[in-house]
Amino acid sequence: MLNRRQFTLASASALGALAMGISQPAFAQAEKVARFRLTIDPEGLYNVQSISLVVSEVLGNYLLESLVYLDEKGQAKPWLAESWEPSADGKVITFKLKPGKVFHDGTPFNAAAVKFHFDTVMDPKNASPSRAMISPLQKVETSDDMTVVFTFSKPFAPFINLLGLSYFGFNSPTAVKAAGSAYPRHPVGTGPFKFGNWTPGTSIELVRYAEFKQYRPDAKNQGPAYLDRIVLNVLAEEGVVTSALQTGELQAALLTADAVRPLEGDKQFNIINDQNAKNLMFMEFDYKKPPFDDKAFREAVSYAIDRESVLAAAFGGNGKIALGPLSRGIPGYDDTVAQKYGTPYDPEKAKALLDAAGWKVSGDIRAKGSMQAKFTVRSYASSTTERALAVIQANLADVGIQVDVGTADWGTFYPGLLKPDWDMDLNRWTWPDPSVMSQLFRSPGHRQLLPANPAIDQALDSADTALDPAKRFQFVSDGQKAILEDRLILPLLTDWPITVVRSELEGYRLDFLGRLYASDLKITG
Amino acid sequence: MAQYVVRRLLLLVPVVIGILLITFLMKALIPTDAVTAMYQGQLSEKEAAQAIATLRAKYHLDLPWYQQFFIYVGDLMQGDFGESIRLRKPVIDEIGYRYVNTILLTALSLVIALVLGLTTGILAAARRNTWLDVTATTVGLFGISMPAFFFGLLLILVFSVWLRILPVVPHGWMAIILPAFALGIIEAAPLSQVARSNMIDVMRRDYILAARARGQSEMALIFRHALPNALIVVLTVVGLQIGNLLGGAFIVETIFSWHGIGELAVNAIQWRDFALTQAIILISAATYLIINLVADIMYAWLDPRVELVS
Repeated sequence: MLNRRQFTLASASALGALAMGISQPAFAQAEKVARFRLTIDPEGLYNVQSISLVVSEVLGNYLLESLVYLDEKGQAKPWLAESWEPSADGKVITFKLKPGKVFHDGTPFNAAAVKFHFDTVMDPKNASPSRAMISPLQKVETSDDMTVVFTFSKPFAPFINLLGLSYFGFNSPTAVKAAGSAYPRHPVGTGPFKFGNWTPGTSIELVRYAEFKQYRPDAKNQGPAYLDRIVLNVLAEEGVVTSALQTGELQAALLTADAVRPLEGDKQFNIINDQNAKNLMFMEFDYKKPPFDDKAFREAVSYAIDRESVLAAAFGGNGKIALGPLSRGIPGYDDTVAQKYGTPYDPEKAKALLDAAGWKVSGDIRAKGSMQAKFTVRSYASSTTERALAVIQANLADVGIQVDVGTADWGTFYPGLLKPDWDMDLNRWTWPDPSVMSQLFRSPGHRQLLPANPAIDQALDSADTALDPAKRFQFVSDGQKAILEDRLILPLLTDWPITVVRSELEGYRLDFLGRLYASDLKITG
Repeated sequence: MAQYVVRRLLLLVPVVIGILLITFLMKALIPTDAVTAMYQGQLSEKEAAQAIATLRAKYHLDLPWYQQFFIYVGDLMQGDFGESIRLRKPVIDEIGYRYVNTILLTALSLVIALVLGLTTGILAAARRNTWLDVTATTVGLFGISMPAFFFGLLLILVFSVWLRILPVVPHGWMAIILPAFALGIIEAAPLSQVARSNMIDVMRRDYILAARARGQSEMALIFRHALPNALIVVLTVVGLQIGNLLGGAFIVETIFSWHGIGELAVNAIQWRDFALTQAIILISAATYLIINLVADIMYAWLDPRVELVS
C-alpha cells in the first residue's frame, strides 16, 4: 500500500509523463500543415449527389475547379474555360477549354470530362439536387477534345455565373466510373490539393498536388500550393473550437459572432468578414390573406422594423442592413433602387400609414372593423432568427401590431411555408445570382401564393434570359424596383460569415463566391 | 436460471416491435422526410420535384406508414437495417464502428465512475464525519448537480487551454480521455453517495460487531466483510447508471467530437434520415435491455437471497 506521500509523488510523475508523452507529437510539425474546422462530417464528397454547405466548402475550396470564376465585381472570367460564345438566339453556348489540365489521377481534363459531369447531373436516375439549378439545360455535346456545346430550351442567363459554383466543379470521369458508389469517399478533382484520407466523423486530410497548374490569374501564387497538407477537423461544438484556436491546434475556423467575441482584440487572431456574402434575411407575407393582400398594410409593416437592432441582436452587428430585395453581394444589386424605393426604419410613418388604412388604435393594439392586428410570424430554429424575432415583435408592438412568434427546425418550417398557416415568415436565402428573385417572387412565387404581377414577372423573365450582362443588369434593376414597389418583401439584412484565422496562417482570402484561394495559404514561424 | 435468461431474451422481441411501432407512428406525424430535407429551398422547382419523387419511391417514402413498417420489419428479419438516404450507404456500415466507440466510451467512463465513486464512498464511510467525509460529500453534490456538457467544456479549458497537457482536437486513443472523465466523474458522484450510505448501514450490522469483537483488523472488516454486502446495492445502481451513461454519451460525444452513435443520432434526426434514426433507437434499446438483464443476473448471483422468477 502506498502512503499518502508516495501516492502524491507517483501521481505527479505519472501526470508529468503523460504530459510530455502527449504534447510532443501533437504540437511538433515538421511539414507545413494547416488545420481547419468543419462544422459537420460531410455526407459524401461528390457534388452530383450533395449540395450541402459542408460538401461545397471542401470540394470548392481544395479539390475541384470550375469553368469560370467571378472577379471582384462579380463578372465571370475564364478559369478552366478559355472562352465562351453564345449563339444568336441565345439557346446554345459553346465553351473552349484551356489545354493541359490533368486530374489528380492522371486523367486529362477535356470536353468529355465536362460533358460527363453535366450528363451525370441531368440523368434522372441520379436524382441530382443540382439538376434543378440548371433546369433549362437540355444537352451537352463535344465537338472536339477541347470544345463543349451546351444547348438550352430557352436562353438561360444565370448559367455562366452558376458555372463558378463548386456544384459544377469537375470530377475525374475515370475515378467516378471505377469507384462507383464508393466515389463520394474518394473524390478526384483538378484542384491544388488532392484527397488524402478520411477518418469518418473525425477528419479529412488533403495533400498537396505537386503537379498543380494554376489557371486562375487572380491567385497570388501561380504555382502549386505552399502547404504540404490540410487537415479538416470535424468539430461541432463552438466552445471546443475557440479552445483549439487558442492552443493553435486549429489555424482557422468559421464561427458565430457569439463565439468570436472572446477572441476579439487578441493579436494572435485575424477576424475575417466575408463582405461579399450573398445571403439575405427577409420577411415575407401570406399575400392571399387579409390584411397582407393589401400593399398599404405590407408597406406600414415594412417601415416598422428597426433593421440595425435586428442586425445587432442576431449577428452582433456583423453584416449590413438591407433595403433592397437582393443581397449586396450578388452581382446586379442596385443600391440606388434600394435607397429610393426601400422602407428605412420610420415608426411614425408606419403609424401614419396604418391610421390612413383604417387601423385604429384601441388600447395597445390596433383594429380595423372586427379584425384585430394580431398575427403570427414563424421562422426556422436558430439563435439568430430567435433574436431577430424578438426585435421584430417589439418593433411591431410599438406601432400597435401584436405578433405571436415561433420557430421550428428547418425540416418542419420549410414545408409549412408551402401551406401557409401563418401570416408572416422570417427567412434567409443564399444564392450567388440575381435569379434568386425569380425563385422567390416570380409568380406564383416559391410559396405558390403570389398573384401575377406583369411588371415583376416581365422584368425577372427578361433578366433570366438576357445573355448580355449590361442588358441583364438593367432588367435585374427593374425587377428590384418592381418587387420593392409592390412591397412583396421586407428585406432585413445580409450577415457576414466570420472566419477566425490565427496570425501564423497567411494568405487566407475568399473570392467573390466565397471560395478560398487554397494554394495561396502559407504557414509562417 | 437458463430458462429465465431465455425468457428475458425472448421478451426483447415484443419490446423491439413496440419501439418500432412507436417510432413509425412518430415519423408519420413529422411533416418532412430526408429527401425534402436534402432538397430544402428547391421544393417548388419542377426538376427538383422529379428528383424528389425518384428518391422517395426508391426509399418507399411514398407509401403509407404501415406499409413502410411492414417493409422495414421484413428487411430487418433478413438482417437488413436499410440504407441511409443522406449518406447513401447501408446504415449498418455507419453504425458499426460508432457503436463500438460508444461502448468503449461508456465502458471506460464506468470504470472511472466505479474507481472514483467506490474509493471516495468507502473512504467517506470509514472516516465518517471527518474532513474527508465532508469533502467527498460536498464534491459529490457538486458532481450530481453539474451537467455533463458544461463539465466537459470546463475540463477542456483546464487541461487543454490552461495546462496544455491534452490536445483540444485529439487524435486516436487520446480522444477518449476527456469525454470518459467528463462522464465518469459525474456518474461517480451518485455512486459514491450510495456506496457511502450502504457501507455505513452495513458497518452497523451485528455481524460486523461480532467480527470486530473477534479482533479482525479494520481493513479486513471493511474489505472482507462489509464491502461485499454493500456492493450488492451498488450493483443495482450501476445497472441504472449504464443507461445514464449511454444517454449522457449523446451530449458528451457531440462536445468532444467522439464519433459514437449519440453524435450520429443528433445528426440523423436533423437530417430526417429515418433508417439511420430507427437503427440507432433499436440498437440503443436492445443494449439497454441486455444490460439490465445482465445486472439482474449478477444481482441474483451475488446475493443468494434473490431468486430470479419470471
